[in-house]
Amino acid sequence: MLPIALLPVAGLLLGIGSSFTNPTTLEAYHLTNIIKEGGILYTILDIMSKTGSIVFDNLALLFAMGVAIGMAKKEKEVAALSGAISYLIMNTAISTLISAKGGVEAMAANTTTSVLGITTLQMGVFGGIIVGLGVAALHNRFYKIQLPQVLSFFGGTRFVPIVCSIVYLIVGVAMFFIWPVVQSGIAALGQLVLESGYAGTWIYGIIERALIPFGLHHVFYMPFWQTELGGSLLIDGVAIAGAQNIFFAELASKSTEVFSVSATRFMSGKFPFMIFGLPAAALAMYKAARPEKKKLVGGLLLSAALTSMLTGITEPLEFTFLFVAPAMYVVHCILAGLSYMLMHIFNVGVGMTFSGGAIDLTLFGILQGNAKTNWIWIVIVGAVYAVVYYFVFYFMIKKFNYKTPGREADNEETKLYTRQDLNERKASEKASEKSGTDSVSALILKGLGGKANLADLDCCATRLRITVNDPSLVDDGLLKQSGASGVIHKGQGVQIIYGPRVSVIKSNLEDYMESPEAEAAPVEKAEERPAAGAAATLTAPMQGTVVALEKVEDEAFSSEVLGKGVAIEPTEGKLYAPCDGRVEMVFDTHHAVNLVSREGCEILLHIGIDTVKLGGKYFEAHVQDGAEVRKGDLLISFDLEGIKGEGYKVTTPMVICNTDDYTSIETVAQGEITAGERILEIK
Amino acid sequence: MKQFNYTIKDEVGIHARPAGMLAKTAKGFQSEILIEKDGRSVNATKLMMLMGMGIKCGDTVTVTVTGADEEAATSAMQAFFAANL
Repeated sequence: MLPIALLPVAGLLLGIGSSFTNPTTLEAYHLTNIIKEGGILYTILDIMSKTGSIVFDNLALLFAMGVAIGMAKKEKEVAALSGAISYLIMNTAISTLISAKGGVEAMAANTTTSVLGITTLQMGVFGGIIVGLGVAALHNRFYKIQLPQVLSFFGGTRFVPIVCSIVYLIVGVAMFFIWPVVQSGIAALGQLVLESGYAGTWIYGIIERALIPFGLHHVFYMPFWQTELGGSLLIDGVAIAGAQNIFFAELASKSTEVFSVSATRFMSGKFPFMIFGLPAAALAMYKAARPEKKKLVGGLLLSAALTSMLTGITEPLEFTFLFVAPAMYVVHCILAGLSYMLMHIFNVGVGMTFSGGAIDLTLFGILQGNAKTNWIWIVIVGAVYAVVYYFVFYFMIKKFNYKTPGREADNEETKLYTRQDLNERKASEKASEKSGTDSVSALILKGLGGKANLADLDCCATRLRITVNDPSLVDDGLLKQSGASGVIHKGQGVQIIYGPRVSVIKSNLEDYMESPEAEAAPVEKAEERPAAGAAATLTAPMQGTVVALEKVEDEAFSSEVLGKGVAIEPTEGKLYAPCDGRVEMVFDTHHAVNLVSREGCEILLHIGIDTVKLGGKYFEAHVQDGAEVRKGDLLISFDLEGIKGEGYKVTTPMVICNTDDYTSIETVAQGEITAGERILEIK
Repeated sequence: MKQFNYTIKDEVGIHARPAGMLAKTAKGFQSEILIEKDGRSVNATKLMMLMGMGIKCGDTVTVTVTGADEEAATSAMQAFFAANL
């Protein structure tokens, strides 16, 4: 929502500029001598007015580009270009159809406008938004597209403006037929409002506010302000149509005693909530912000509140809560509608140039005198509105924990316009979801030795070209598993051949590398190959005969699933510590013990085969979990004959559970052995 | 990330042999496989830690699999638990 940030500035320029260049205003305040058409002051004000105005006039184009930028996942500049082109094409298509039908005269009154010199349908900001959303969707879908070899020049991001142009040509044609239906719907609403008194004024107010998010409020209220829809009146013998025209005619007329409320009911209602209500809502948001963010948020909210108060440009403030708390916007619409109705009931006759800020209130209310305008009711109702807005907003923010500015999670930037925040958050969620299943990228990155090993990543027509920091970390096997047909090494350069789909692989890999998972991957890798454990020597844990592990009659041991090691056929029922270390755990059935040597060697001593089934019978533990032991300390004693009598073997394997940490585990004894003699060398 | 719970049915629980086989199965996958019981969690490839959990019959463990091949790893783990424990 980049363009909205521009609105307060443009609004100030337009508000001040147009108020003091309006000939009616100048005449009414006898300023015609000071601010003269062609004079320096007038020209400066006129420049302010027109430069401010150009922003509002082309808001649709800015939205076409801004929304596309905000919603595009990557290569945002392409989306911006596509948005601008699509907007021009859509309007030109509409324009051509309008001339084919016979020009503007052939269309219903007030349904056409001129956009950038193109005569087109009055679509307001909505026209820009549908372009922006559509372009972003097309962009995200196609920016990685691969075309057949002959057309490959037009692939990838270059394809985006092309496809957008074609799509919006069609959308333009469709809009020519669809949009007038929408317009007549809006007009029908207007008719309804006109015919239903106070309630009608209320509904008018609600609809006007509800259309703000779509930028269609101009389409709605302009007919009231400028056409018979807003009433017609005979002033000084001249028939005037339209609410705003009536007000300004009355302002210019010397015979006006009271401004016609039948006209100003479509305007005065803006003052109470724009000058008092919304700034109070801004204060509520400030108060609800977290203390450490208040300073930052304060500046943002203050400028938005001042813009609303002075010029009656409310979008900057309204958009701060519209997207994060739509329910608050609904409340705002209802209160705003009520404001119009109250002004109608209290006969307030204050008009405006284009919105309800303090500048217009001063010029067209206060300076005209209370007798003519009843402007004092704006202040009275406004004071009540300030209180109501403050408490309602504060209560809703706290109660529903809305993430208004200054209440975001820590990792989020505080911004006045939160729609972009939302979009980015969604995009990043999607990205991480995607990378969660992106096993090809994960494989490639692993094969290349992790993210940290990558110095540069690029691709040509068929190959991924990578510069790595350490070529020795590259694993060709993993890379081929990822679908590569070949891997070429040149010093620090690695080329992985995938064929034409390489550009997609590259884009995916880049996405993946930005995900948190990619950071984790190399760490995992480091865990997998720690520095080989320090060398250790183990002594025989018991008296007996050395048995090679593969001869043990238990597959779990003989197949070395539990680790490499050795076994002893004991001749005495005593198990001693084979080294200095710590008892990790004595099995609660006392038939086995886990030991960690000082060097970090993880040793499992397991008396007998399947003896877990004895449930502790015949075994007695002499140490407890966590005990520090010295080489030769008695760990477990057991009844050799008892175990044998139950039909179990007492062969006792001693295996190294963290075998993977060592390069060699060698048995250095054979035959008869006594406890304490060297038996295993671990390196 | 994928996760499942399993209640141990084997009467002697995760002692040396099943722990060894479990660790071996776990090592066959890229994904990190964590076995959790009563708030304590160990990497399934760490044999000694696994035995150290002292998981017995009737205990319920939570198996959490995270990584590129988590689908395959999870089904392998489920199959392993069902067949051996």
